[in-house]
Amino acid sequence: MVIVQRKALSLAERLYLPEIFRGLSITFSKFFEKPITRQYPEEPLPTDEVTRGQPRLVVKDDGAIACVSCGMCEVACPAYAITIDGGETDRPIEREPVRFEIDMLRCILCGFCEEACPKDAIFMSNELELADTTRRGLIYDLEKLKRPKAALQPRIDYVYRINKRWRSKQP
Amino acid sequence: MSQPTPPSAATNPSPAPAPKPATVKIQVDGREVEADPKQPLIRACHDNGVDVPMYCYHPGLTPVGSCRICQVEVAGAPGQPSRVVAACRTPVSPGMVVQTDTPKAHETRRECLEFLLKNHPLDCPICDKAGECDLQDYSFNEGQGKGRSSEPRRKLEKRKSLGDVIVLDEERCILCSRCVRFFQDVTHKPQLTVSGLGSRSTIATFGDKPLTGNYQGNLADICPVGALTLKPFRFQARVWNLSKSLSTCAECSRGCSITVEALRGKEVKRFRPRYNPQVNQYWMCDTGRFAYAPVTEQLAPAGSALGGRLAGAAVRGYNGLELAEVESALSEVADILAAHPNPLVLISPFATQQEGEAVRELCAALGVRARFVSPAPSALKDDLLNTGDPCPNRRGLSELGFEPIEAAAAHTELAQAHAALLVGERIQELLDVAELAKLPASLRLIVFDVRAHDLAALDVAVGVPTHVEKSGQWLNVDGHVGVLNVAVPPPAGVGPLERTLRELRAALAPSAATH
Ligand code: SF4
Ligand code: SF4
Ligand code: SF4
Ligand code: SF4
Ligand code: FES
Repeated sequence: MVIVQRKALSLAERLYLPEIFRGLSITFSKFFEKPITRQYPEEPLPTDEVTRGQPRLVVKDDGAIACVSCGMCEVACPAYAITIDGGETDRPIEREPVRFEIDMLRCILCGFCEEACPKDAIFMSNELELADTTRRGLIYDLEKLKRPKAALQPRIDYVYRINKRWRSKQP
Repeated sequence: MSQPTPPSAATNPSPAPAPKPATVKIQVDGREVEADPKQPLIRACHDNGVDVPMYCYHPGLTPVGSCRICQVEVAGAPGQPSRVVAACRTPVSPGMVVQTDTPKAHETRRECLEFLLKNHPLDCPICDKAGECDLQDYSFNEGQGKGRSSEPRRKLEKRKSLGDVIVLDEERCILCSRCVRFFQDVTHKPQLTVSGLGSRSTIATFGDKPLTGNYQGNLADICPVGALTLKPFRFQARVWNLSKSLSTCAECSRGCSITVEALRGKEVKRFRPRYNPQVNQYWMCDTGRFAYAPVTEQLAPAGSALGGRLAGAAVRGYNGLELAEVESALSEVADILAAHPNPLVLISPFATQQEGEAVRELCAALGVRARFVSPAPSALKDDLLNTGDPCPNRRGLSELGFEPIEAAAAHTELAQAHAALLVGERIQELLDVAELAKLPASLRLIVFDVRAHDLAALDVAVGVPTHVEKSGQWLNVDGHVGVLNVAVPPPAGVGPLERTLRELRAALAPSAATH
């Protein structure tokens, strides 16, 4: 057992009012400075092509989905967030997804799927917000994931620029 | 890799060990090995765990030596330089010194691959073979990532139907001619040939007629690339998402060894033959290959016993068949059997040895003899594999002492019985559901089957697993053991049939004591 002898406080220390005034002076001085907080969600964060938001699927200009359900992103995904079932299509590419689900609650926004895709079909969008009342609602299906190519174009250009993709020219 | 896995002794116990062939000694990669001089060199390498790539060679077909991917370096006579030879066409000779992993061997393989890839489409993302493709594997191994040719690739037909089973992608074909030789060597009815010249050569049927026969599905297995694919399996699954379990085909008494492949361990997508030298070699028939409809049936709608797989049990109540706990259904069965001694017991020829033994124990307790339903032979009998007898375990059940009974005779006896037990997968279908529906409601009918049918006579139905949901053994027509393993889990509430039957016997005991 150790008995701790507390030091008796001096009079200046016992008079706490000066310290209170010192603290309040800091508080009040901040009233006249420029605020550094952001009023989210009214004032959203700026995003650009570097932003690694939620992955989205590219819908090509002719209206067809670019994904061929090859399953590369499914394998690459470290969070096991992606589930794909393929099917046949009459388009020359023969194959397309009939089910493509990303569990957004599992997705860690790592971007591996974007890197793995051989068809330029999945890219990290600048969409970051995620809210729903059910877990099922946060497993995004094909319809929720599709985005027109134009919406993802800045990111596509960026990926080509920095990654030196195996195909240097975009299709 | 498509090299056949030699069956392990545990899964395919052989009744009579094959006599050992006379062997000679050769040296493979610096190791002295025994080799069968009647087999090509590539077999000696594979049998000793040395990987030599192959496209045109298939252990079940005549070697032709056309693709040249299997080249290895063989030391020459003293003072002579070594030679690069095709291992699949070179016979083993005593004292041969073989090197498979030399720069020279790799270089010849790389050159040969470059020619194969010259016109090969970059199709892997949409190709069903991707993941089990020899062209992918060896290209990856030999590691030449870039093509040197700037010419456009040839354009050929990509979706050419070759009948009901097979689709040909002419661009992917590497003209190994395995498919051509399959019809020559295995079914002995040639149907395919290489037509055209040079880079325009393609695989074609004679007169562009669709393929016929019950063995077309094997083409998709032996094609080393994704040129021949199965229509029912097309784009159904990526092969690396398939879990594989060793099993046995249920469609005839040959009992071909197969693997059951299920998507993400849940949905059966493919049956594939598995090498078994005593039963089916490398092959299986299409009847068996595409028989996954019975094992992929949907569950009955929630709260209902009819219209699909029966999860748990159903008992006839005031409002028709009602779902029930297996335990209460079994005590209901025990009550019925107590009130109606000497029931008629019929079992399905799909019952395993283990289920057969459980039935025998139950029958001993009931003091009756069970027989197995023996349906009429199918018209599928051929001289290759299919025996035309749709009973996978006829031999095993006969050895357990069960007598067969024809469906017609079974119906006569059912019409006279007071109570009857029908036990085992598909027994209602084998006895013809329409005929069973005619049985009077006064018959106390108890069914252990994968689903309940709307039969007037049905009192209790208990769900059982299908043959891909249970483990057990069948004996094929020649007495070889066919193993069954759990490839997909049975529906919740369905346990192994042998366990359910033992529980029933336990439920019988007290009522038997009181009567
Ligand atoms: S971003 Fe990463 S975690 Fe999310 S789906 Fe793609 S690979 Fe999976
Ligand atoms: S990797 Fe690309 S093409 Fe392949 S399944 Fe994923 S999104 Fe589709
Ligand atoms: S055959 Fe093999 S290499 Fe060719 S596209 Fe298919 S998976 Fe790729
Ligand atoms: S279709 Fe397949 S098996 Fe037939 S020759 Fe071409 S690559 Fe070989
Ligand atoms: S496998 Fe030997 S030449 Fe084709």
